[in-house]
Amino acid sequence: MSAMSYSPGGRVAHWFYGIAVGFALFSGFGQMPIFKRYYLADIPGLGWTANYYATSDIHYLAAALLLGMLAWRLALDTRTTGAAWSWGPRTWWGWTLLGLLMISGAAKVLRNAGVFLPPPLIMVLDFTHLGSAMAFMFTGLAALVKPKPKPNLRGLVS
Amino acid sequence: MANAISRRNFLRGGLAAAAGVAASGVVLPQAVKAAGGQELCTVLDLSKCIGCEACVDSCRETWQDTVPDPVSPMPKPFPARVPTQDWSKRKDVSDRLTPYNFLYVEHLDFEHKGQAVELHVPRRCMHCVNPPCTNLCPFGAGRVEKNGIVNIDPDVCLGGAKCKQACPWHIPQRQSGVGVYLDIMPSYAGNGVMFKCHRCLPLVREGKQPQCVQVCPEQVQSIGLRPQMLSQAEAMARQKAAADGADPNKWRDYVYGLEENGGTNTLYVSPVPFSVVSAAIDQAHASAAPGGGKGKGAAGKQGGKRRKAGFAGRPPMRPVANSMESAENLTTALVLAPLAGLAAGFTRLFGKKPPSEQPPQEQPSSEQGGQS
Ligand code: HEM
Ligand code: SF4
Ligand code: SF4
Ligand code: SF4
Repeated sequence: MSAMSYSPGGRVAHWFYGIAVGFALFSGFGQMPIFKRYYLADIPGLGWTANYYATSDIHYLAAALLLGMLAWRLALDTRTTGAAWSWGPRTWWGWTLLGLLMISGAAKVLRNAGVFLPPPLIMVLDFTHLGSAMAFMFTGLAALVKPKPKPNLRGLVS
Repeated sequence: MANAISRRNFLRGGLAAAAGVAASGVVLPQAVKAAGGQELCTVLDLSKCIGCEACVDSCRETWQDTVPDPVSPMPKPFPARVPTQDWSKRKDVSDRLTPYNFLYVEHLDFEHKGQAVELHVPRRCMHCVNPPCTNLCPFGAGRVEKNGIVNIDPDVCLGGAKCKQACPWHIPQRQSGVGVYLDIMPSYAGNGVMFKCHRCLPLVREGKQPQCVQVCPEQVQSIGLRPQMLSQAEAMARQKAAADGADPNKWRDYVYGLEENGGTNTLYVSPVPFSVVSAAIDQAHASAAPGGGKGKGAAGKQGGKRRKAGFAGRPPMRPVANSMESAENLTTALVLAPLAGLAAGFTRLFGKKPPSEQPPQEQPSSEQGGQS
């Protein structure tokens, strides 16, 4: 923004974020029984996409990367000023969705680790996670296709 | 083994043990009431089973009518290769798992230490302690009740059969043409409802025993709180091992369900080691006709390549690793990642230089942009 601003982590952070979100979306949607039905798993080399345990592991890794980056960003913001983050949601709406994804996702992780959560709560969590994932994807795609009125995307989206 | 106690066992074992002192060995219905939500577990003494199938009959009588009949004609799935499964015209099939048959008995004849052995093994859902079928269900249709009963909500299930694939025994069975998917986009998403043993949840909620436990003339099954059932299984298995001429400390070889899939709330105890039972089952399946005696089992016409007919709907009894182990391990990574991120941020790792101290070319053009 201002001439004083800088972008912590630079391009690397930007790419890591893209990778984390991309893999989370792909492996997340892979949690629904669609990749086999709709031929994706028939493409040579993509047979593993029909293996729920494989896509689940990828989802965990993508989520870990995402959580790590967001925690880093949060902590760094308390220690420095003038950081203009080149990655992450740009609207309160985007942040809300990401927040919902993280909270519901973390609860699902606990459940998977064997912690008892009441079934009705799990259903709420599942639909929150799924709904915000879809909304997040469409918001993100819209933002990619039609960038915000900030003109300087040079070298970032390539 | 290292994984003898899964996390959930561990977390709840203490509580259950405490409650167990109060409940002191009583069986249902008192145990259920006293338990107030402790995990229930069954023990099956296979030496006692005479293979009469009274359990199968009573399960069918009680629950078959709760499984609806499909609409006719059934929605044609897109793409056309997606198999539909219709067991509604073959509800009589009782020698394998089907959507209308939650329990069947595997009848085995084999030789062990030079002796002919006849063994009957009632098979149904194992009610895993940390069940992958439920954990991986994307819609919350799979449920684990506080009493440990694993069941599928037929009003929510879309019949994608992910649970069946996730289950190491492929227990849940699909009936197409029933359920809520009919009201959404029946040709494009969903394919029916998955059905399996729900441990007679409606009866257990009333403090009653499951049907198959109640009606068995030989009292093959007992049901109670998990810690007590574990000790009961161990005591029984030690005797079986000794009677089989083995070291009683090898009793684990005579129990199935202790470590399978991370531990199940069904514990089979056998007079011969389960390696022997498993081999006998595999052999029986390899030579068996498909369940129901004819055809490919489910009336799926374009089912594509299926598992060998004799295996379909008939779970093996091999050792099974914990399906959730990888997720349980990755949980550690998920906890550590944000901590590492915080540490990096607070120490200004990767984010040090304030812009004024930087040569201008250090941050090429990265001011704004990126995804939402
Ligand atoms: C951009 C971020 C994310 C997207 C787009 C996303 C998307 C999805 C989708 C579509 C599903 C399948 C539907 C469902 O089960 O509800 C799913 C499942 C799941 N997600 Fe996420 N998710 C994201 C972040 C996270 C995070 C941060 C966590 C953990 C902290 C997480 C944990 C899970 C878990 C545990 C499942 C259940 C399937 C499994 O066991 O792997 N997700 N996700
Ligand atoms: S468990 Fe009991 S009812 Fe079922 S077949 Fe064996 S003896 Fe008969
Ligand atoms: S045996 Fe299969 S269906 Fe039953 S609880 Fe375990 S994973 Fe689920
Ligand atoms: S517990 Fe109930 S539902 Fe399950 S096999 Fe026995 S009778 Fe059938």
